[in-house]
Amino acid sequence: MTNDFSVLSFAIKNVKRRPLRTAMLVLAITLLTAVLVFALSFIYRVHASIQIMTSRLGADIIVVPTGSRGAAEDVLLENKVKSFYMDQDILEKVSKIDGIEKMTHQTYLVTLSSLCCSVPESLIIAFDQDSDFIMKPWLKGKIDRKLGKGESIVGHESSFNISVGLVEVDSVLFGNVFKMVGVLDKTGTGLDNAVFISDDNISDIVKNSDLPIKPGQVSIIFAKIKEGFSHRKVANAIEDSIIEVDAVTGKDIGRSIINTLRDISGIFSMTIALASILSIFLAWTVFSAVANERSQEVGIMRAVGAKESHVMGLFFIEVLLIGAVGSTAGIVFGTGLSVLLAKSFTILKNISSDLRAVERLAVAVIGFVAGTGICIIGALVPIRRIKKMEPLTAIKER
Amino acid sequence: MAQLQTDEVSMIYAIGGEQIIAVDKVSIAIEKGEFVSLVGHSGSGKTTLLSILGGIAKPSSGSVRFEGRDIYGLNSDGLSEYRSEKIGFMFQFASLLSVLTAKENLLLPVLFKPSRKDADGKLHEERAVELLNMVGLGDRINAYPSQLSGGQQRRVAIARAFMNDPELILADEPTGDLDEETEADMMRFFSDMNKAQGVTFILVTHNTELAGQAGRRMKMVHGKNEEQ
Ligand SMILES: Nc1ncnc2c1ncn2[C@@H]1O[C@H](COP(=O)(O)OP(=O)(O)O)[C@@H](O)[C@H]1O
Ligand SMILES: [Mg+2]
Repeated sequence: MTNDFSVLSFAIKNVKRRPLRTAMLVLAITLLTAVLVFALSFIYRVHASIQIMTSRLGADIIVVPTGSRGAAEDVLLENKVKSFYMDQDILEKVSKIDGIEKMTHQTYLVTLSSLCCSVPESLIIAFDQDSDFIMKPWLKGKIDRKLGKGESIVGHESSFNISVGLVEVDSVLFGNVFKMVGVLDKTGTGLDNAVFISDDNISDIVKNSDLPIKPGQVSIIFAKIKEGFSHRKVANAIEDSIIEVDAVTGKDIGRSIINTLRDISGIFSMTIALASILSIFLAWTVFSAVANERSQEVGIMRAVGAKESHVMGLFFIEVLLIGAVGSTAGIVFGTGLSVLLAKSFTILKNISSDLRAVERLAVAVIGFVAGTGICIIGALVPIRRIKKMEPLTAIKER
Repeated sequence: MAQLQTDEVSMIYAIGGEQIIAVDKVSIAIEKGEFVSLVGHSGSGKTTLLSILGGIAKPSSGSVRFEGRDIYGLNSDGLSEYRSEKIGFMFQFASLLSVLTAKENLLLPVLFKPSRKDADGKLHEERAVELLNMVGLGDRINAYPSQLSGGQQRRVAIARAFMNDPELILADEPTGDLDEETEADMMRFFSDMNKAQGVTFILVTHNTELAGQAGRRMKMVHGKNEEQ
């Protein structure tokens, strides 16, 4: 036998003594960590995609028709297909607001999903080529000329759909054929699923459809703010002077989603708090029983020279082993669950960004620390009690 | 200076309203290398006195000095070090850890020491196997206590007391459940350790013949100590 006797091998032997009881505690820690990891992944992912969107949007303020703010967020964040319109004269009114450096506008045209293909409906975005600064940074390869009538640029996801043959290269939009002449880089925002056309096409499209849009109407205005101006103040100024619009600063985009998320977070928090309390209680119960069963052994260990810290160390390793196994299993389950269930949550389904490896790792570390920590907290009191006992008293305790 | 000296140590247990004086103002002085036997009726306070001497039960009053140092004046770690470095304890009751093999039980007293070797540079492992051989269990080193007879378990516990190279052995009826032959073997083993290594022994026994072999004989009567 070459097995070296060490504090670790001693601890492992002890942990294996009551397999069922140990398994129960491990399971509790696993469940707790799984819920925590799942919840964190979920919330983190939504927040991350909002952040990505705002940092990539390239606009300081967006202006939309009053009451359409939520719809605009749906378009920008979740790839949802929505339409809303405001009159063209608003463009001029906004441009006169103090602090606006430059602005551009887009018009959202909703395809009828049955119209062209079996692919999920895409949002058709008509943009103003002269003033655009939203799409240009994402255009793969330069197109040295302006888009002509019947030409389109497609988002990253749409182009993927096209390349796998789900959509014909020439898209038919409201009876107008559009030739794809460019593809956008992946933005990780709602723009990935859209098809972009020049706004010269709007009148042709509207002619052939029953879209509720009047000539010259636009959906959204993107504005850059001059250096030294407060974004919020400019947004307030816009809202104050133009009653037909809502103005949202880049930072505030996604607020309404975060608010919805708050309810979900609340439920998660409650579940986690409850699971934590139960796990602490279970760890406390298990280690109280362990302390009682092994008080004689601890007395003997102490009698033959072990210090309080040695006894503490041995139990600590045992707790750590249980916590580590439980939380590692929990991380695996929680991560798996977040990957699997992501498809069943509408809020996640449409969010294009997924967690990066570092982020997953961060969530895993948090899960590990929490799962193991909870186990330690629960075990602390019984273990402290046992190490404090005078050896002879501990030995005699039965 | 005596190696071990007590000054009026007493141990009083309170059960309900009643007070039990388990050890009653015992003052003894034991020189290094002495072999002392301790007899007395059951309940006379032998185990309690040994526990006090071994640093595992703080007396209600009085002091215990080892090599001039008041051991109960030490903090918890200091007291642990005293037990770890100076004392070899043989308990009256079964004291092996059931999850550990015979060899591992022997290694328990040195488990938390930083070095894997003893002062002579010998590996603890080797020392453990050597001691198990000395008590006649060289063929059972990897057996668990449940796989050993009562007498064999006893001998493992006896061997364990020598693991840390102690200066003082406190043996509480260590041969109580051994057959006569093995008991004689163990006594020879003790005697060898006492003579060759100068280890001090305080041996509790009911066997008057064994007690008679000791260089010095003491008796406990109702918690008081008498020299014989
Ligand atoms: N923890 C304790 N609580 C109360 N009384 C005890 C305790 N330990 C020992 N005693 C009492 O102290 C006396 C001495 O016990 P002990 O030292 O075990 O005697 P011996 O070893 O000589 O048989 C006995 O009367 C015993 O009942
Ligand atoms: Mg006794």
